[in-house]
Amino acid sequence: MASVVKGDVKSAKLEVQEGIRLIEGVLIGRHYADMPIVAQRICGICPVVHNLTSIKALENAMKVQVTPATKKMREIMELGQIIHSHALHLFFLSLADFLDMDNDIQLVKEYPEEAKRAVRIREFGMAIVKVIGGRVVHPLTNEVGGFKKVPDEEELRKIVANSDEILKEALELAEFFKTIKVPDFSRVTEYVCLGKRPNYSIYDGDIVFSKGLHIPVKKFEDNFQELQKQNEVIKKVEHAGKSYMIGAIARININHSKLNPYAQNYLESLGWRFPDFNPFHNILAQMIEIIHSIEESARLLKELLNSDLNEVVTKPYKVMEGTGVAAVEAPRGTLYYHVEVDARGYIKNVNIITPTAQFLANLEDDIAEYIPGILDLSNKERERKLRAFIRAYDPCISCAVH
Amino acid sequence: MAEQRKKFFKPKVAIISLTSCEGCQFALLDLGERFLDFANEIEMMDFRLLEDEEDAGLKLDIGIVEGTPITEANVKTLQELRKRSKILVVLGNCAAMGGIPEIKNYHEGANTIKHVYKYIHGINNPEIKEVDNFVKVDFTFPGCPINAEEFLKYMPEIMEACLPAGRAEIPQMPDQPVCVECKAAGNKCLLLDNKPCFGPMILGGCNAVCPTSRMGCQGCRGLRPKGNVTAMRQALKRMMTDEEFENTTEIYGLRDDVEDRIKSEK
Repeated sequence: MASVVKGDVKSAKLEVQEGIRLIEGVLIGRHYADMPIVAQRICGICPVVHNLTSIKALENAMKVQVTPATKKMREIMELGQIIHSHALHLFFLSLADFLDMDNDIQLVKEYPEEAKRAVRIREFGMAIVKVIGGRVVHPLTNEVGGFKKVPDEEELRKIVANSDEILKEALELAEFFKTIKVPDFSRVTEYVCLGKRPNYSIYDGDIVFSKGLHIPVKKFEDNFQELQKQNEVIKKVEHAGKSYMIGAIARININHSKLNPYAQNYLESLGWRFPDFNPFHNILAQMIEIIHSIEESARLLKELLNSDLNEVVTKPYKVMEGTGVAAVEAPRGTLYYHVEVDARGYIKNVNIITPTAQFLANLEDDIAEYIPGILDLSNKERERKLRAFIRAYDPCISCAVH
Repeated sequence: MAEQRKKFFKPKVAIISLTSCEGCQFALLDLGERFLDFANEIEMMDFRLLEDEEDAGLKLDIGIVEGTPITEANVKTLQELRKRSKILVVLGNCAAMGGIPEIKNYHEGANTIKHVYKYIHGINNPEIKEVDNFVKVDFTFPGCPINAEEFLKYMPEIMEACLPAGRAEIPQMPDQPVCVECKAAGNKCLLLDNKPCFGPMILGGCNAVCPTSRMGCQGCRGLRPKGNVTAMRQALKRMMTDEEFENTTEIYGLRDDVEDRIKSEK
C-alpha cells in the first residue's frame, strides 16, 4: 500500500518501496501442494483469490475435475472476499478523501452509524471466508480436488439467516454513498473482465473487452503484455500497446445487466449512462457489487444447503504433467495464473499477473490527464487530490510487486 | 497496575510494515471494535492502514514491525524504528523467521530473480535475513499470520513494561506445543492418520487453527524451546521423505532452525 506520488504536467509516475519476494521464482521446483499456500501469501487483503486461482490453474494443469458443489463453495468464498475487501476500501480507505477529512478517526466520529454499517457488512464477508476457509487471513481448507473439510452446516445457516439484515444495512449505506460528491472527471479507456452468460462472472468466464473482443482465458498472455522497465519491480501490463481498466468499475460497465435485483435497482437509481468513464465511480461500483454479492452468496448458500455438503470434500485424483491457466475476479480485477507441472507434480514454471499490475498504467494515464485541471491548487491541496485519485483505484502494491 | 496505566500513561506506538503481504496488520484490523479499544489505550504514531499522515519519526515506547527487510529502505526504516523505540516488537513469521521470501535462500538464492525479471540491475535482491539479524528484538508475535487474540493478550503486559516507573518484565510465551490446543479442540490427531504434522515441535498459541481445518502444522510459529526435533524428524520418516520434510520446513523459514537444533541435540 506504500505509494509515493510524483506528478508534473507531462507525466505521472508511481514509485513503490516494496521489496521483491519473487513468489514465482520460489515456487519453481516446489511440490504443487505448496503452491496455494505460498501464492496466497502474496496478499493479506485478498489471499482468497490467490488461493482460488492457483488451485484452479493446478487443476487445469493436471486435468482434475471437481464437483459443482466445490465450485459453488469456492465462488461463495470469493464473494465473501469481495464483500469484506470492498467494505474496507470504500468506507475506511477512500471515503475520508471525498468528505475532505484527514483521517478515519474523524470520519468514524462524524458518521458513527454509517461506520458501524460498513463494519457489519465487512464482518459478514469475513464470516463467509472464515466458516468456509477456516480463517480470514490465509484460509486453510481449499486444495486441489476440493476441500479438506466440510464447513460447519450450522455456521453456514447462520450466515444465510443474517444475510437479509446485512442486505438492508448495505442498502442503507448505499443511500448514504449516493450523497457523496465525487469529482467530475472522465477519460475514455477500455474495460476488461470475466464474462459468461447469464452470470455476473466472478469465479468463471472468458475474458471480455468493452470494445467487443472476447477471448478464452488460455489466450490471456497472447493479448496482454507484461512490460518491465529498468529499475522497476512492477511489470505493468498493456493490451495492444495501451492501458486498460479492470475491477469493479470494469465489471459494472460490462456485466451490469446481470446484476441481482437489489443491486440492479440501486444502479438504476444512480442514473449512469454506459459506458461510464469516471474512475471515481469505482467506489460506487464497489457499493453495487457489495449489494450484488450479498444477494448472490445467500442464494448460492441456500442452494448448497439444500444439497449434500459432503460433495465438496476432495476426491482422489491423479498427479500428471501439464500446463494450466486460470482467471478469477479479485476485488481489484482479473487475477491470472499460469502454471506448468511435471509428472511428479513439481512446478516447472509459473506466471502470476495481478490486478494492480494491470491497472497501474491506466492510473498513470488518468493522472496525467487529471493534473492540468488541478494545477492552480496549492501543493498540499494538489497532493491531497492525487492521493484521493490513487485511493479510488485501490492499488495493492503487495500484489503488484509480489 | 493496568488501571493506573490506562489513567496516566498512553504509550506511543507505531505499527510499521516492511516488505510483506500486510496480513498481520489485517489480522489486527479484523479484530474490529476490540482493536479500536486497544488503539484508545495508546497514542498511535503510525499505522498506515488507517491514516496516511507522514510518520514524524518521534520517540516511541513500542515499535511494532511486520515483514521482511528486503530493500535498503526497509533496512533503514527498521534501524530507525529500533533507535526510536524503548521496546521493539516483531509481528509475524516474515519478520521473525524470514517467511515465504526466505525460500530462495535454500535454493537458487540471488539467481531466483532470473525467473521473474528481465532487467535485474538496480533491484535490491539480498539474501533474506530475519529482523533480529539487523536489530535487537524484545518480543515476538509468531505465526503466519499472527493470532490477533494473542496480540490482545500480551500487549497490556508489554505496555506495563514501558511504564515510566515500571518494573514489569516483558512477558514470555509458555513453551507449549500446538498439540495442547489441538487436543482441547477435540481434533483427531493427524499423525495417528499418518498425515504429516509438525505440531509436537512447534510453539502453540495459534488455537491449532491448521489441524482444526485438517491441515498439518507446517511450523509457521517456529520451534518451541524444548521441542525434540530429532525425535520428531524420526517419527515423520514414516510419512514423508527427507526431501518432502526439507521442502515443507522451507515454507515458513523453519529449515535453518531445524538444522541448527538437530546439530545441537547431537
